[in-house]
Amino acid sequence: MHGFHGRLLTIDLSAETYEWRALEESRLRAFLGGIGLGTSLLYDFAPAGVEPFSPANPLILTSAPLVGTGLTTTAKYAVVTKSPLTGFIADSLSSSFFALELKRIGADAVVITGRSSHPTYLFIRDKQVEFRRADHLWGKSPKETESSLRSELGDTGVRVAAIGRAGENRVRFATISNEGRHAGRGGVGAVMGSKNLKAIAARGNAAATVADPQGVEAIAEAMRARSLGTMTAKYREIGTVANLAVFNRLGTLPTRNFQQSTFDDAEELTGESLVENNFSRRYGCASCTIRCEHLFKSLAGEEQRLEYETLFALGPLCGIQDSTTVLEAARLCDLYGLDTISTGGTIAWGMECAAKGLLPEASGIGLNFGNADAVMKIIPAIAQRSGLGELLAEGSKRAAARIGGETGDWAMHVKGLELPGYEPRSLKTMALGLAVSPRGACHNRSGAYEVDFSGEVDRLKTDGRRGMLVAASEDFSAVLDSLIVCKFLRKCFTDFYAEAGDLISKVTGWSYSADELKRAGERIHTLKKLFNVREGWKSNDDWLPPRLLKEALPTGVAEGVGLSESELREMLQSYYRARGWDESGYVPKAKLSELGISM
Amino acid sequence: MKGAEARDRASAVILAGGKSSRMGRPKALLPFDGEPLIRHLVRTLAPLFAEVVVVGGAGAEFVELMSLLRSLSSQPNELNEPNELNQPNKPYQPNQPNELNKPNELNQPNKPNLTLVRDEIAYQGPVGGIYYGLREAKGEFVFLTSCDAPFLNLALISHLISQISDYDVVVPYWQERFQPLHAVYRRSVAPLLGEQLERGELRPIFLYEKVRTRRVSEDEIRRFDPEGLSFLNMNTPEDYEAALKRWQRLAEEQRGRGGPHPSALAPMPPGGECTVELFSVARLLAKTSKIDLALPREATLADVLAALSDRLPVLVGPIIATDRKSLTSGNACNINGRTFVRDPKAPVQPGDSIFIISADAGG
Ligand code: SF4
Repeated sequence: MHGFHGRLLTIDLSAETYEWRALEESRLRAFLGGIGLGTSLLYDFAPAGVEPFSPANPLILTSAPLVGTGLTTTAKYAVVTKSPLTGFIADSLSSSFFALELKRIGADAVVITGRSSHPTYLFIRDKQVEFRRADHLWGKSPKETESSLRSELGDTGVRVAAIGRAGENRVRFATISNEGRHAGRGGVGAVMGSKNLKAIAARGNAAATVADPQGVEAIAEAMRARSLGTMTAKYREIGTVANLAVFNRLGTLPTRNFQQSTFDDAEELTGESLVENNFSRRYGCASCTIRCEHLFKSLAGEEQRLEYETLFALGPLCGIQDSTTVLEAARLCDLYGLDTISTGGTIAWGMECAAKGLLPEASGIGLNFGNADAVMKIIPAIAQRSGLGELLAEGSKRAAARIGGETGDWAMHVKGLELPGYEPRSLKTMALGLAVSPRGACHNRSGAYEVDFSGEVDRLKTDGRRGMLVAASEDFSAVLDSLIVCKFLRKCFTDFYAEAGDLISKVTGWSYSADELKRAGERIHTLKKLFNVREGWKSNDDWLPPRLLKEALPTGVAEGVGLSESELREMLQSYYRARGWDESGYVPKAKLSELGISM
Repeated sequence: MKGAEARDRASAVILAGGKSSRMGRPKALLPFDGEPLIRHLVRTLAPLFAEVVVVGGAGAEFVELMSLLRSLSSQPNELNEPNELNQPNKPYQPNQPNELNKPNELNQPNKPNLTLVRDEIAYQGPVGGIYYGLREAKGEFVFLTSCDAPFLNLALISHLISQISDYDVVVPYWQERFQPLHAVYRRSVAPLLGEQLERGELRPIFLYEKVRTRRVSEDEIRRFDPEGLSFLNMNTPEDYEAALKRWQRLAEEQRGRGGPHPSALAPMPPGGECTVELFSVARLLAKTSKIDLALPREATLADVLAALSDRLPVLVGPIIATDRKSLTSGNACNINGRTFVRDPKAPVQPGDSIFIISADAGG
């Protein structure tokens, strides 16, 4: 087998045992790697209805066929589990050297179940798995944990993925972190923490072979060249933070808990200003020519990586206008291992409750929109689950359910996952994409907003084509996330399915057509949905927060624009039709056989 | 610079003091579209300028000019005129009798404040006229033209004015020649011209070498005035005849399009202005987030990008393709926050805000 090892490593933390098993070629061909393989394994390894924090909930790490091929932006791995935030699938990606090392251990996937009786870390090396005590690491940040382990293991080649305090304390939106990057969304770090697993250290030398090395290198060479063209200039010159200024101007920058879609005080936070005033250096994932990471300096002189989602969530969403606060808040989230989107989203919910007098504890720390001190205090409290942090560590959906009343109207989540920085009312295709996404309000597992920004549709209006467009975007992302190719390379392909099919054929030796790849995308996406249905998905889970359906946007170029329930319902129907699902959103049997999914 | 802002900060100067020897009669007074040419010019320029300075010659036509222009002034009683022949260019405000304060056909808002000054050292070439005009004007910049060029094109003039912010002179270069009598000057260059006069350097090009001069290329001019009619001037009775015919033809074309008679507008009515807002890499390169551009008539995205290329050449390559009409693959354009456009033929209206953004909204 080329491109894969054809092996799966299962680890039982309770029994401290592990097993190498064969991975069927048919499964790899059908689901590729990354998110696809992870979803397929989740479906099989998670007992139906498993509690996310139960030892039986599998934490799955997967590699992918392109990892290690030298193709730019492909040093990535996926983490898949049942989300403690949504109760549905959590599928997150992270990247860089840990991804390369994970593939070199000789497995395409690692499935971790059980729970250690004490803090533990795993050391996977040369086909051996060691269960080591991690008491001395407990409480450390992911970064400290990484460096401790690398020196403790006496091997700088060791790569580490770890959780911070938030994961240890099962904050429902805790991340798994490696080299400053995060498998960020859906609380995968909390699942890891629930297993008393502090870190995974990997070291290996098992390289997967490639069927046509010259052919692959030729494509890799061409993609390297394309990755440096004008198409990716935004990522290279400014990074994702470039979104802020233009989103603000287009009335699609969620502000003060989605009460507005423009932020008057945005100037200091624009990517352009940050690059001018705070730029420190550019960095990137392993094997990447684009290198989109931008590190900025705070007033205190500390270097901090900042992405648009972090910037929006800890900035305008909380009414924060100064870059120092945002950079410091981002640093705290990294330190504790917190998903910045859900952190910002949940804090913003708390701020709105406080403003309306519904959260008395919040007034103690002055949790008001724009109060930088309060943001600095509440982030550590969330990570420690102390005081008001105990409530907010549950995420906005559960916190609102506890407080009750109308606070649920301001909990800006879908299926429990907080919304990313794309205002749905002024990006109608995105609105649909967010409503139907299996992992909740997500901007990564589909790129529905791309349609809104393309001019192909009127972004402020709805129509019957959105279902088809969202489905196509989801399938495309499913393939991208399973190969795995960074989404920032996506526009460098001219005919994605044909080129990627050719690439996968050259890597694996299979003859993989564009059509087969498209079908794989649909299959992967459909299986996510099937997992969710098995775990209790109901039609009303594909829906948006009440605020978005009740309030029109008050400012900016999209002033007066809203989204009605009937518009959303019509878009949902167009989506289910495009998918060939029934009108309640369930997958009919015929679809399963069409996609070759056997339950 | 937006239109309204330009109207406050820029003056127009019309040089009407040149020799009319080959024409045989004063050019400023030639009938054109039913009125004396000088009136035609002032009316044409009125929408763009709050102040128009007419530099008249030393001859007898000066008095006639004065009475002609009085009805065009927003302050007819205060039409500036010289009081003593030996005090050129020192206008005063005489108490004009009320009968001069006649209503006229121009709309009040477009009535410029008119000043008439005498070019005492007449017939010494354009530098003298430019110098006296600049000295008299109150605006920060001056659009200067001569009274024998009837085909003024407001779109081109707006464009020239929009270029002045970083320069001292903006001068068209048409058919391999500078056009100093259809150019924009910063008023602050007047002393340099005075020195030139003293030294007897009578060619404007000496000035261009000394100050920040923006040479406007033929391609750039053609976007607003494809045939360069703006530079067509009349020196002989034949030129005059030809110009009248041409005017007639333009008027007919205009009527064919359902547009107003050209005498109500400039021969090439202005397309107005748009604002380009730059985001992301474009903003970093340009070191500015906003720029106003003059638009030709029936403008398209391609016109905007061409004008933007002229103003910010640094964008050509990374943001604007080398054809200067389209964006490179990583960039997109949105009009007024509403419509995303890529087609270079997409229409752009005066007053539009055009956002140049990254084509990839991934974050
Ligand atoms: S483009 Fe950015 S996120 Fe993608 S692989 Fe490169 S550095 Fe990593």
